Amino acid sequence: MTLTAESVDTSAQAALDSPWVTIVWNDPVNLMSYVAWVFRSYFGFSRDEAEIRMLRVHNDGRAVVATGSREEMERHVEAMHDFGLWATLTKADA
Amino acid sequence: MRAFEPDGDGSVRAVVEPVEAALLAQLAGQVAGLLAEQRGGAAANLAILRLLPDAYPDDSEASAEFRRFTADELTEKKLRNARILIADCAGAADADGPSTIHLDAASIGAWLRSLTDVRLVLATRLGITEDGDLGPDDDEEEALMLSDVYDWLGFVQDSLVSALED
Repeated sequence: MTLTAESVDTSAQAALDSPWVTIVWNDPVNLMSYVAWVFRSYFGFSRDEAEIRMLRVHNDGRAVVATGSREEMERHVEAMHDFGLWATLTKADA
Repeated sequence: MRAFEPDGDGSVRAVVEPVEAALLAQLAGQVAGLLAEQRGGAAANLAILRLLPDAYPDDSEASAEFRRFTADELTEKKLRNARILIADCAGAADADGPSTIHLDAASIGAWLRSLTDVRLVLATRLGITEDGDLGPDDDEEEALMLSDVYDWLGFVQDSLVSALED
């Protein structure tokens, strides 16, 4: 497979546009059932996808739940704080 | 209190004792009081920091900036959620015996968030900071009671989420 100049440009542009991630951290308070419900109802994840991300939070201590622009990620973090989840944003490559 | 059950049209219902409804309203009121006191200020204590956590783990300046732009609205939302829960509990708290609380979709959203806020604040009081922490290891009566209340709130919230999944 070869990369055309055009496709390189596209991925470079995507990297510039989407350098941030929203992370949800494990905490000892929030119920697993509630975290999965939040993921389903806010992010629109399927039941299975929500369960997988929730378990990643629980087992690994954190999970990326969204990727995009800094402004978008700030909106997601604010929404997670509204739900009472411990969420932060950071640069994707950090 | 019995577990919440689906009530059709996305609503749920549960039978609660007057003392349980009064306790829920009292706790939500206490958290609302804490939030109202802190309104407009920096996150001064552990409980507030848990309700409105830093958004940038390694950047206190960006976290402060984020807080400046979001804390007021988040606080208003949390206060509104608490007020909804308190209003939903009023009738049952004043009843002579067990009564049924009905929650529509808007109330369910407010209850889930408000119960979370109350549990987050109680957890900071109980020193629950890691998975598996069970709460106070001393046997002071008040701490034990608080610990029971914390567990019970977990039951209430879990039953509410379960009722949405049936």
